[in-house]
Amino acid sequence: MNTELLPKCPQCGTPLPANAPAGLCPRCLMALNLKTETVFTDDMPAAQPPLPPAQIAPHFPQLEILECLGRGGMGVVYKARQKSLNRLVALKLLAPERVQDAKFAERFTREAQALAALNHPNIVTIHDFGQAGGFYYLIMEFVDGMNLRQLLRARKFTPEEALAIVPPLCDALQFAHDRGIVHRDIKPENLLLDKAGRVKVADFGIAKMLGTVNGGGDPGRTATPENATQTALGTPGYSAPEQKTDPQRVDSRADIYSLGVVFYEMLTGELPGKQLQPPSKKVQIDVRLDEVVLRALEKKPELRYQQVSEVKTLVETIVATPPDNSRREEAQIEAKGRQSKLTSLPTYRLGRVVSAIWGLWIFVLVVLVIYQKEGSPAWNLAVS
Amino acid sequence: MPVTSQTSSSEAPKLFPHTRWTLVLAATRKDAPESAAALEAICHAYWYPLYAYVRRYGQSAHDAQDLTQEFFYRLLEKRWLEAADREKGKLRTFLIVALKNFMSKEWRRASAQRRGGGQPHARFDTEFAESRYAADSQTLAPDEIFDQQWAITLLELTVNRLRAEFTAAGKPRDFEVLKGCLMAERGAIDYAAVAKQLGVNEGAGRVSVHRLRKRFREIYREEISQTLADGAELDGELRHLAAALAGK
Repeated sequence: MNTELLPKCPQCGTPLPANAPAGLCPRCLMALNLKTETVFTDDMPAAQPPLPPAQIAPHFPQLEILECLGRGGMGVVYKARQKSLNRLVALKLLAPERVQDAKFAERFTREAQALAALNHPNIVTIHDFGQAGGFYYLIMEFVDGMNLRQLLRARKFTPEEALAIVPPLCDALQFAHDRGIVHRDIKPENLLLDKAGRVKVADFGIAKMLGTVNGGGDPGRTATPENATQTALGTPGYSAPEQKTDPQRVDSRADIYSLGVVFYEMLTGELPGKQLQPPSKKVQIDVRLDEVVLRALEKKPELRYQQVSEVKTLVETIVATPPDNSRREEAQIEAKGRQSKLTSLPTYRLGRVVSAIWGLWIFVLVVLVIYQKEGSPAWNLAVS
Repeated sequence: MPVTSQTSSSEAPKLFPHTRWTLVLAATRKDAPESAAALEAICHAYWYPLYAYVRRYGQSAHDAQDLTQEFFYRLLEKRWLEAADREKGKLRTFLIVALKNFMSKEWRRASAQRRGGGQPHARFDTEFAESRYAADSQTLAPDEIFDQQWAITLLELTVNRLRAEFTAAGKPRDFEVLKGCLMAERGAIDYAAVAKQLGVNEGAGRVSVHRLRKRFREIYREEISQTLADGAELDGELRHLAAALAGK
């Protein structure tokens, strides 16, 4: 078939194939699919299309609305320029189909309050909040970069980069937890990375404020079915088990679980499956990381790390110290074994013996330490 | 070669599968009728990329038709679904792997004892298949043409669904007016002209265009997720298909 005889697409110039859907150029149609990075979480009702900037602008005379960035959580986000200060901001509007719902208006308000209480370099800053022209709006700092989901899909992630992101993320979460705020929706879409490589946690849309009027302290609030409704469950795959089974009891440890999922996904490129496989079995990484990730992913909150700062310390330690030799040898041998069937038997056995001896010594030392400090939480570590 | 007109003998299947790949996977052990119907609908919707693969692989038109028919016949017997990896199931990869297996192992044996061959109930329009194949790029490798045609099949399903939505709303003409806007850059659309053709003011025209584009994206993503067992794979699959389409 002589393609020069075929009509060309007026847009991109490629010859239109005979099976072009409705006579439209497949390449251009596909390009349309890639334009907006919208992500659907399961808890969204049938979404209306976001209003174009021209329709928003009249209600925000102080802003120049530049473009719609997409949907996130319950809102639609626009890039805008704050005229008075000549800086870029992000304008988040409560999704149009949610406006009539008092529950969501209240939740949007709560998000604003949560952000206002959190002034931290790794949490998006809020500039303003209110209502205008029937919209609930949030004006936040504009993060010039991408979210973690976009980066993961673009495959621009190395294990080193993953490890670099986790400590500041822990800082942000610990900061929030210290102020009684649980994010409850930690996932790659809500983690922004700017071009300087800074991590920013965003979208506190379903955050829980503990011990405040809106949180567990007010019996009036806990009596409402609000916490048990589907929309407060977080995102499937990332939310901790107790977010579904026992939402009233959700606390900061739920964020630790979600952090574990994100960590796992950054390292392996996949979500943890039903048969939870340690990350080092899927990719070439330091085996010490397995313990950190797996413990964060414990189904029971009491078995996880109790403070996000613990995760940060462990990750930083692992990064800063070379892996101890017996484990590295074992990991290397295991890796070789995976690559080829011809494992050298004598070396393999030696590696096993060496690490068994180390293991024994470590066990002895740990037992001695425990013996001295009876009942200390370090007992949990020894049991593994 | 007419591009925009579609005569009845060369029409692509208008049905789209209200099926879910997960439904099929879940029901493999039972003889559920929904699962059989789901599988039938899958075969009906996605057969062309497989046909294109077989033809590009080197089979003649006649053999390719037989082979593809037989493949679907076997597939419908669910002999291969039990082996599907449910954790990370992608219909696209499953089908092509099953086809390759079939071609290398079963086809030779099957030639001798064909089960479905020669039956009047062809699963697809063989005449259409060949005319379409003849028009496709001749330079791609079999795997490439399979992925490319898969991407296009999903586009077709999406466009057809969009058109059906407009028809159901009693505005089939509006779709024909608006469909060109699916291809254009946002800044290049002449909203005034579109609005005039629709018989509305420019503001309403603008909204209609944006709604159409957004709806297109939504439906396409739904069509992709129909072929996935795990929704988390959606963006990855979208990128893969975009690359396959662009790789001419």
